[in-house]
Amino acid sequence: MTNGAPRTDPPLHGIVAEYADPEALKAAAARVRDAGFKKFDCYSPFPVHGIDPAMGIRPTRLPWLILACGLVGCFGALWMQWWMNAVDYPFMISGKPLFSLPANVPVIFELTVLLSAFGAFFGALILNDLPRLHNPLFNLSRFRKATDNGFFLAIDASDPGFEEGKVKTLLGEGAVGVEACYDEDPNEELPPAFWTAGLILFLVALVPLGLAMKSRNSTSKAPRLHVFTDMDFQPMFKAQRASALFPDGRAMRLPVPGTVAVEDVAVEGPAETGKENGAWLAKSPVPWTVSNLKAGRKAYDIHCAVCHGATGRGDGPVALRARELAEAKWVAPTNLLDARIRGLPPGQVFDVITNGIRNMPAYAAQIPVEERWMIVGYLKALQRSRNATIEDVPADRRKELK
Amino acid sequence: MSSEITTTAEFLSDDPVKRAPLVDPRLDYHSVTETVSAIAERPKPPKAWYAAFAVALSLTLMLFALIGYLIVEGVGVWGNNNPAFWGFPIVNFVFWVGIGHAGTLISAILFLFRQKWRTSINRFAEAMTIFAVVCAGLFPGIHVGRIWFAYWLFPVPNQMEMWPNFRSPLLWDVFAVGTYATVSLLFWYFGMIPDLATLRDRARSRLSKILYGVFSLGWTGSAREWHRYERSYLILAALATPLVLSVHSVVSFDFAVAQLPGWHTTIFPPYFVAGAIFSGFAMVQTLMVPARRFFGLEKIVTMRHIENMNKVILATGSMVGYAYGIEFFIAWYSGNPNESFVFLNRAFGPYAWAYWIMVSCNVIFPQLFWFKKIRRNLLITMVIVMLVNVGMWFERFVIVVTSLSRDFVPASWGYFKPTAVDLLMLLGSFGLFFTLFLLFLRFLPIVAMAEVKGVMPHDHGPKEKGAPESAGGER
Amino acid sequence: MHQVDLEAVRNERRHLGELAPKVIRIALGLGIVGVASGVVFALIGAGWRHFLFSYTAAFAYVLSLALGGMFFVVVKHLTKAGWNVTVRRIGELSAATLPFLFLLFLPILGVVLAGSGELFRWADPEVARTDHLIHAKAPWLNPTSFALRWVLFFVIWTVISRFFFKRSVEQDESGDPALTKRMEFLSAPSMILFALTLTFASFDLLMSLDAHWFSTIFGVYYFSGAVVGFLSFAILAYMFLQRFGILQSAVTVEHYHDLGKLLFAFVFFWGYIAFSQYMLIWYGNIPEETVWFQHRQSGTWAGVAIVLLFGHFLIPFPGLLSRHAKRKLGILAFWAAWMMIMHYVDIYYIVMPNFDSHHAPLHVMDITVWIGMTSLFVALVAWVGRHCSLLPVKDPRLSEALAFENS
Repeated sequence: MTNGAPRTDPPLHGIVAEYADPEALKAAAARVRDAGFKKFDCYSPFPVHGIDPAMGIRPTRLPWLILACGLVGCFGALWMQWWMNAVDYPFMISGKPLFSLPANVPVIFELTVLLSAFGAFFGALILNDLPRLHNPLFNLSRFRKATDNGFFLAIDASDPGFEEGKVKTLLGEGAVGVEACYDEDPNEELPPAFWTAGLILFLVALVPLGLAMKSRNSTSKAPRLHVFTDMDFQPMFKAQRASALFPDGRAMRLPVPGTVAVEDVAVEGPAETGKENGAWLAKSPVPWTVSNLKAGRKAYDIHCAVCHGATGRGDGPVALRARELAEAKWVAPTNLLDARIRGLPPGQVFDVITNGIRNMPAYAAQIPVEERWMIVGYLKALQRSRNATIEDVPADRRKELK
Repeated sequence: MSSEITTTAEFLSDDPVKRAPLVDPRLDYHSVTETVSAIAERPKPPKAWYAAFAVALSLTLMLFALIGYLIVEGVGVWGNNNPAFWGFPIVNFVFWVGIGHAGTLISAILFLFRQKWRTSINRFAEAMTIFAVVCAGLFPGIHVGRIWFAYWLFPVPNQMEMWPNFRSPLLWDVFAVGTYATVSLLFWYFGMIPDLATLRDRARSRLSKILYGVFSLGWTGSAREWHRYERSYLILAALATPLVLSVHSVVSFDFAVAQLPGWHTTIFPPYFVAGAIFSGFAMVQTLMVPARRFFGLEKIVTMRHIENMNKVILATGSMVGYAYGIEFFIAWYSGNPNESFVFLNRAFGPYAWAYWIMVSCNVIFPQLFWFKKIRRNLLITMVIVMLVNVGMWFERFVIVVTSLSRDFVPASWGYFKPTAVDLLMLLGSFGLFFTLFLLFLRFLPIVAMAEVKGVMPHDHGPKEKGAPESAGGER
Repeated sequence: MHQVDLEAVRNERRHLGELAPKVIRIALGLGIVGVASGVVFALIGAGWRHFLFSYTAAFAYVLSLALGGMFFVVVKHLTKAGWNVTVRRIGELSAATLPFLFLLFLPILGVVLAGSGELFRWADPEVARTDHLIHAKAPWLNPTSFALRWVLFFVIWTVISRFFFKRSVEQDESGDPALTKRMEFLSAPSMILFALTLTFASFDLLMSLDAHWFSTIFGVYYFSGAVVGFLSFAILAYMFLQRFGILQSAVTVEHYHDLGKLLFAFVFFWGYIAFSQYMLIWYGNIPEETVWFQHRQSGTWAGVAIVLLFGHFLIPFPGLLSRHAKRKLGILAFWAAWMMIMHYVDIYYIVMPNFDSHHAPLHVMDITVWIGMTSLFVALVAWVGRHCSLLPVKDPRLSEALAFENS
C-alpha cells in the first residue's frame, strides 16, 4: 500500500489443492459442497462438464440481462427511426411513407443483436468481477497450470467454516498436492506514473471539446479552415470566359443551329408588357382576389422586401446595411409609399418589375408574369393601407377602431 | 511428427458405430497447450514469416498511399463512371464481407449444431472474419466521395439538424456491417480470454506478461467464471447466427430493392448468404492448409477438418448453383423481356468471359469434391479453393457491372473498365488482410486451446499413452 | 448425466401394435368425412371452384408435411447426426406416404388435364391463346408438361422415400452398420433432387395459381413452411405415441428440446424468408409483382396477413425462445399445435386469394377439407408404419442419441 515492500505476516487467502483430472476435481467439489463450504471455487483449463451440480452453482441470471438489453435495442431502434425520419426530420423519399416499418426492420434487428451482444459480453465480465488486475492465487507458481492441464480447488479463508487443518485434510483426499495461498502484498497499486499519464491524457482529451465549445459560442470572420478543398474550387467553366476545350475558344455553347430555347419564345401582349396601344394598363389582367393578393404578398416578401422593406418604405435589410456601411455609390431604394409612386398606373409598376430601373435589376427571369401582377396588386394594397383615412373603413365598423 | 497420423484409417473413419476422434488421440492437455502456445512464444518467427510480412506490409502501405491519392484527386481515379457508378469498390466490399462470413458461421452455427470439429479451426476463422470485415468496411468508406463526411452515415446530432434516411438499404448496411464487425470482435475476443490467460501464465518477458495479463482480464478459469462464460458464449453464438444471415441479406438488399433487372430478385438474400459462406470457407481453407503445415498443427487440424470444410464448400457451392439456375429459370418464366435480356446478356454479352469464370469456378470445379480422394488431397483442394475465391469475386463483379452497364435505356449502355488504381487497391486490400493475419499468427493463440481440451476424450498424460478412449467428441 | 439403458429401450413397446387399426380407422373415417363434406358443401351452394381451391390448399399442406419429413431424414444422414436417431422414424414414415399422396393429387391433375381454367387459369387453352404472358409461358405451363413433371416428381419422391424407409427398417433386423453408410452416401444426391423437385413443385402447385406472378425465393419459402409443419407434426406425433405407452424411455425431454430448437430456428427462418420476399417486392414496387401482395393486403385478406405475421412469427418466436418452453412438454405441445394451424393459414394465404382476391372466403369447407386431408395423411402414416418398429432400434448411433444431453 505504501512502499511496496512485502509485509512480514501475510494473511492467509485460502487453501488450494490440485487434482489430476476432472473426475477427481468433481469428486472433491462435491465433498467440499457437502461439508457446507460456500466460498470455494474450482479452477480448470476448460469448462468441466457436470461441475456445476457438483459445486451447487445455480444457473446464472445472465440470460435475463441479455433479454433486457435486446428489448432496449429493439424498441430503441424502432423509436429512433420513427422519431428521426417521421417526426424530427421528415422527408419524402422514393414514395415510401415517413414511418415505414418494412424498411425499419433491418436496423431494428441489427440493434437488437448489437445490444444483446453487449449485454452478453459485458454482463458476463461484470458478473465474473472481471477485469481484475490481481488475484492472490497467482502467487502460487503451481496455479499457472490452471490454464494448462491442472485442476484446482480453492477454499477461501473467509468462509465461516474455514479451519486450516480441517480443510487441508478434506482437500488432501485424491489430491496431487495441497498448498496454502497467502495474500502477500500484491503490489496492487498502479505506479504513480500511470496516474500522471492518465491525468495528462484526460486534460489533453478536453482540448478539442473546449475548442468546440468555444467556436459554438463565438463568431469569427476568418473563412472556414480548408483541410480538403472540397467543392470550393471547382474546375468548371465560367460564363463569358474563354476556354481552350472547344475549337471556338468560348466556354459558353451556342444553341444547336436551327433550335430555339423554350424560354426565348416571347409572347408580347398587354399582359406581358403592361402596355396597350402605348398606354400603361390601368387594370391588372390578373384579378386581384384575396388569394392572389396573399400570393402577391408572399412573392413581395421574397423578392422585394430585402431592399424596399416589408412595408415598402425602402428600409429593407439590404438598404439598412448599405446605409450602415456608408457605401458611397449606393443609391437607396425608392420609398414605395411616395405619392409619385402611388400615382403610377399598375402597368408601369409591372414594367419596372419586369425590366428593372436604375439600380434595380429586372425580375422577368425570376418571377412569372402572373405573379408579377399579383405583386403589383399587393403593392397597391400596401400603399393604400399606409395612407388610409377613416373614410376607407366601412362605416359600420369604424367604431371598432376607437 | 509424421503426417501419416492424420490419414490413419481410424482417424478418418466414417464408421457409424464409433465416432472418430476429433483431434489426434495421442495428444494430451499439456501438449495441446505446448503446440499452440509455442507458435506465439517463439522469440523470432521463421524467415518465411518476415518475407510474407514484408510483402503484405508494402501492399498495405501502397493501399494507404492510393487512398491518399484518391482523397486528393477524387473518385475519378477509379473506373466508376456513367453508367457503372458501382465498380470495383462495391465489388470488393461485397467480396470481403462474404469472406468474413465463414468465421462467425464456423464459430456460431456449427457451435449451435454441436459440430465439435469446429473447435480446431474456429479461432482461425474468426480472426479471418474480423480482418476481412476491416477490408470490407474500407471500401464503402472511401466510396462515399467526400470521405471526411463519412460520419454523416451515423445518426449523430449535427449542425445541419439532419438525420440519416433509415429507409435506405445503404444505411441498413452501415448498421449491419457495423454490428457484425463489433459482435465478431467481441465473440473472437471473448473466446480468446481463456487462451490469453494460458499465454499469460506461460509468459517469460515482462512486456508479454503485462500485455497478456491486461488482455486476459485476470481470468482464472474458475468454475463460476466458466459457468457464466459458457452461457454467455452460447447466447453470443445464438445471436451471431441470425446476424450472419442478416449481414449478407442486407448487402443483397442494396441490390435487390432496386428495380434493375438482374438485381431485383427475391432469392437474393439467401443466395447471397450461401455465397458468402461458400467464399468464406474457401478462404479459410486457403489459409488453413498452408498454416497447419507451416506451424505443425496437423494433429489438431486434421484431415477430417479439411474434408469437412470441403464438404461444406460443395454444399454451399451447390446452393449457389441452385440460385443461379432458379434466377435463370424465373428470368424466362417471368415473361419480362428486360429480365430475360439481362441474363442472356450475362452469359453471352460483353461480359460473358466474367460470367463463365464465375460459373466454372463456383459451380463446376467444386463438384470435384464429390470424390473422396479429391477432398483429401491437399494440393487439389488448394487449387479448387483458390478458384472459388476467384469465382466469388467475379460473381460480385458480374452482378454489379453487367446489370449497371446494360439497363433499360440502350442509349446509356456502357462498358466498365477498371483503372490501374482499381486493380492496385484490390491487391492492396489483400495486403491489409494478410498483414493483420500475419500479426495474429505471430502474437495470439491461433487455436482455441480451452475448447480443444474440452472435446478431447480424456487426458492420458504423457506417461500412460495408450489406446484412445472409445467415446468420441460428444460429452 | 442421465444414461438411458439400451436394453430397456429395446425391450419397451415400440410398435403401433393394436393402436394401428384404431388410428387408421378413426383417421380414415375423419378424412373421408372431411373431404366428403367439402363435396357436399360444393353441391349445396359453395361451388366446385371453391372446393377445388380448398382441396389444393389442403393438398399442398399434407404434401409439405411429407416433404418436410423427407428433408428431416435426408439431412440427418447428410450431416451424420447422432442425436435424432430416436426421432427419425416419423420422418421416414411421413416421407413414405408420398407415393400414396399421388392418389390425392389425381383430382388436381384431372382438372388440369381436362383443360379447365377453374383452378389454374393457364390450363384453359382459350386463356393460353389470348393472355399474352400466359402464352409466353405456355412451353412450361401446359397440361401435358405439368402432368409429366408431376409424375416425375412423384417418381423421384417415391424412390428416395422408399429407399430410406426400406434400408432403415432393414437395419432394425440386421443392425448392419453398412446400411447407415449407404444411406449417408446417397443422402447428398437425394438432397439435390429434393431441393429441385420441391422448388419446381411449389412453382407449379402454388406459384402458378397466379400465372402472371413470379418470385425466385418461392421454393425456399414453401420449404421453410414445410419444415415448420413437419417438425410440429413430429413433436405432436411422439407425444401421442408416448401417451399410449410407446417409446416411453427412448424419446426423452432432450429430444423434444432439440426438436423444439429446430422448430424455433425454422420459425425464424420462415420469418426471414417471408420478410425477404415481402420487403423486396414492397420496396421495388413494380406493379407486376406487388399485385400479388396487393390482393393479399386488401379487404379481409389484410386481416389474414396480420394473423400470419403475428401467429406464424411474432408470437411463437418469443414463445419458443426460452429453454423452459422447449422442455416443458405441455408448452411445447401447445406451440407445435399452434404452428400446425399457422402453417395452414400460411398455405391458405398463398392459395385462396387466387379464388377471391378481395375477401378471405372463409367457409366451413376450408377447415373440414383441411382436417380431412390431414387425417388422411395421419392414416397413411399409421398404415405405412403399422408393422415396423417406431424406433431404429439397431441403428449404430442409437446409443449416442440416447445418451444425448443438451448442455
